[in-house]
Amino acid sequence: MSSLNASLASALSGLIAEQGALAVTTNNVANVNTPGYSREEPVLTESNPVVVDPLTFGTGVTLQSVESITDPILESQIQQQTQSQGQFSALASALQQVQVNFTSSTSDIGTEISNFFDSVNQLSTDASDLSLRQGVLTAAGNLATSFNTAANSLTQQQTSLDQSVVQQVGQINQLTAQIATLNGQVSSLQNVGESAGTFVDQRQQAIDQLSALVDVSVIPSDNTVTLTTGNGTPLVTGLKSFLLGTQTNASGLHDVYSQGKDITSQITSGQLGGTIQARDQEIPATQTQLDTLAAGLANAVNGVQVGGFDLNGDVGTDLFNPPAASGVGAAANLSVAITDPALIAASSDGTPGSNGNAEAMYALNSQNIISGQSPTDYYSGIVFNVGNNASNASAEQSASALVLQQLNDQLASISGVSLDEEAANMVQYQDAYSASAEVITTINDMMYAVIQMSTLTG
Amino acid sequence: MRVNPDPYPDLLAAVAQTQQQIQTDEQEIASGQSVNLPSDDPAAAALLAQNAGQTAQADQFQRSIGSVQGEIQNADTALSSVTAALQQAITLGVEGANGTVNSADRAAIATQIQGIQSQLLSLANLSYQGNYVFGGTANQTTPYVLDSSSPSGVTYQGNTGVNSVTLGSQFSLQTNLPGSQLFSAPGADVFQSIQDLITSLQSGTGINTAVTEVGAANNYISSQSVFYGNALNQLTAQQTYLGTETTELAQQQNTEGGANLPDVISNLTTAQTSLQATLEAIGQTANTNLFEYLK
Repeated sequence: MSSLNASLASALSGLIAEQGALAVTTNNVANVNTPGYSREEPVLTESNPVVVDPLTFGTGVTLQSVESITDPILESQIQQQTQSQGQFSALASALQQVQVNFTSSTSDIGTEISNFFDSVNQLSTDASDLSLRQGVLTAAGNLATSFNTAANSLTQQQTSLDQSVVQQVGQINQLTAQIATLNGQVSSLQNVGESAGTFVDQRQQAIDQLSALVDVSVIPSDNTVTLTTGNGTPLVTGLKSFLLGTQTNASGLHDVYSQGKDITSQITSGQLGGTIQARDQEIPATQTQLDTLAAGLANAVNGVQVGGFDLNGDVGTDLFNPPAASGVGAAANLSVAITDPALIAASSDGTPGSNGNAEAMYALNSQNIISGQSPTDYYSGIVFNVGNNASNASAEQSASALVLQQLNDQLASISGVSLDEEAANMVQYQDAYSASAEVITTINDMMYAVIQMSTLTG
Repeated sequence: MRVNPDPYPDLLAAVAQTQQQIQTDEQEIASGQSVNLPSDDPAAAALLAQNAGQTAQADQFQRSIGSVQGEIQNADTALSSVTAALQQAITLGVEGANGTVNSADRAAIATQIQGIQSQLLSLANLSYQGNYVFGGTANQTTPYVLDSSSPSGVTYQGNTGVNSVTLGSQFSLQTNLPGSQLFSAPGADVFQSIQDLITSLQSGTGINTAVTEVGAANNYISSQSVFYGNALNQLTAQQTYLGTETTELAQQQNTEGGANLPDVISNLTTAQTSLQATLEAIGQTANTNLFEYLK
């Protein structure tokens, strides 16, 4: 037969267990707004029974563990989507800045190309007029400036993206070091059978932050996680993190290195991937198109110039300083070679009144002199490309943001702290606690009765 | 089923998205343009860049037409004066050919025609905005100078060059005729015929032949002046054409890049309503959990 003392012990286990359960609820409520926190549940189990032949009595309740409620599959989907989100947001923000150079204004390249040819057409109406010649020189100068401005702005954007690469590599190193440390904390707790929910949450949050920066593969092993980049470059194994480094390459930009190996082109996702894509692909492609346009225009105009005669009757000389044969840097370095308006070779026969060569120069406007296109058509092609790239990156970003939001909703529906639920749990634990306390009071009364009995008989 | 207990991130994302929409709409209304950045509509942005180029070109053609019009009009007027002067010379020549006129009168008529000769010289040397109109492309050199050693009494210093100016994407107009073609054409040489008339009046022989010669020159100038009349007509026609083209380009610009204000305003109103509703939802969300009821 069970004793009153045994019942007292059972009731006490109830008090202790409900207190523990209440502590879990308290912790959940306290962390209701903590980013990355997964709600915890107390795991209550029956204590081992005692057998008092022929009966078996329960011995109360044990708070066996505190379990963190998560979904590893959702978490890994969130990581992947976070990578895309990071990539496209970095790319979209870079391309938004790129397209500003090609936004319609009073001094964009397209307008200045028009202005230049317009000034040549005006000169054609009176080839010997010095003020009209000056007009052509001014328009040529403005055209060169618009190319310079756009090219320099692209270079500046590239430089600032390069600084971002270095900063992001620094952030990645911080996070991988943090994750390695957390790996140690998780495994030391779990090795002794303790719950490491808090550290697991912190580690998960660090992994999410890392996913925003770079493509990460997570391989769970025992109590730690192993992290690599998408192509297998190790980032964290067990308690060790592998730092990424940067080195300046021939173009003056920073390449990303891991253990002496250049992995720049292998980073395709996360903010770092997007930043590298903008820095190494998108901006250089636009720069090349600008250079093609600038070099094509300058060479064609120069070609016409040297085929005509200036106001002094001399054979014409270059209007623009000739761009490099490769065309590289043509837009950034485009400049007008002459300052004397008389040197514009408008004449085709050496007389001051002839406009034949000005007409030839004006005709370039509609000739397919830039990769099979007229200058204006080629420029509008650049406008389309930068606009389309920016628009695509923004659309991808919005789409991945939406998916990410849905995944986060899904995860929060599993892991998020619900105050309603916690309030209900609290009431439940409180009631159970009160009941156990009531039981103890009753046992106390019974004990008292027993003691009274012994007093009477004593 | 358990739902996401924290609706705030979703609500705030909705607020951000609606605010973005409001900003875009407001920008469209402020600028009147639906394409404010190439990414708003890349194809339309490219088309608008071409459209801007074509519009600027059409405007420039209008300005260039204005510039060449003045010179052509002046040339046209000068040629009318030339034919009037030649007509007067013919009248005087016919008068001098009359048998009743004595040699002193003929000499006086010859002197009058010499006056016409210098008038013709100044007409042939017409200058417009610092350029000689009838000197070919050598427009900085006086086309005709007096030269007693020349049979016609003058020497042409200009050249035979002509200028054409592009005044439309498919239209180019010759803007001048060289003096040599106008005033020194073989068989219709203005200065030669006048010189011959003066000489014949002074000598009293061959006056009628000389008058016929001046008549031929006069007819030739009249026929040549059609060139300038035609040029002026073509300029007027091209102005009209460019006006139509500019209107069409403006329409295209509006179709591709103009903001559809009724639509945008309607979108804006919807977005504002939606924002208000979302904000109210956020307000309602607060203060509704079980803890509130357990007091």
